[in-house]
Amino acid sequence: MAKARCGRILGEDIYIEEGDTTTLYFINQLRGYQVVLAALKALGQDICHDGCSLPSTVNKVIKRLGKLKNDLEASDVAGEKKKSLLSKIDSFWADANRLPQDTSQTCRKSAGECVIGSGCFATGALNLINQITEPEAPKI
Amino acid sequence: MEIEVLKNKVQGLNIVLGALQAATGELCKRCIGLEGAKTKVGKLAKKLGMDLDAASICCEKTKADLQARIDSLSKAAEELQVAEECECQKTAGNCKLGEACFVNAAVDLMKLVQ
Repeated sequence: MAKARCGRILGEDIYIEEGDTTTLYFINQLRGYQVVLAALKALGQDICHDGCSLPSTVNKVIKRLGKLKNDLEASDVAGEKKKSLLSKIDSFWADANRLPQDTSQTCRKSAGECVIGSGCFATGALNLINQITEPEAPKI
Repeated sequence: MEIEVLKNKVQGLNIVLGALQAATGELCKRCIGLEGAKTKVGKLAKKLGMDLDAASICCEKTKADLQARIDSLSKAAEELQVAEECECQKTAGNCKLGEACFVNAAVDLMKLVQ
């Protein structure tokens, strides 16, 4: 069956067999987290570092990556491909764990430092993952 | 433009550039979406520099610090690695995440600054 390029994650071009939507789902999620984590890393250099929204978002990402890993392990993605994708999830999980996770600090809006308006960069960054609408999550 | 708005836009642009830098390591490197985003953020950084020049900021240090951040963001925008020949990766059949686009959504983070 023909192979199609469908992503580049951590410097590696990823190919799948045409119609393999299960593997494509995990690849698309990883493409998304690659961008989300970069945005969160940039946020960590800002006042958000000492707030609670960034840590809360980071904790969500860590949790979601954990679930993605479990789902991938339980999926029927082929052996070598599964191994390769699992190592990428581990790498993103390690990256996320280097970001602030202490949610006990005061929101920078409440502290009067964040004056961007009603929005929140941390939430906005996480929502980048919502750009992925295809394919649907496989039934595990 | 008020200094708070300038600071907020600088903060936003830093996050957008973080996301776009990640996209350059992705399929998006060869995508017209990223090529367009690079132009947009470059212009935005330039405009922020002009707004800073026009702003009445008493504290020279604050102004110099903001100028340094804007210069750094402008350089980061220029250095975004985009392929010489780009085409929409959806049209090319490589990007299969649906109708949306990471790059456009990343640039839209600037809209959070009100």
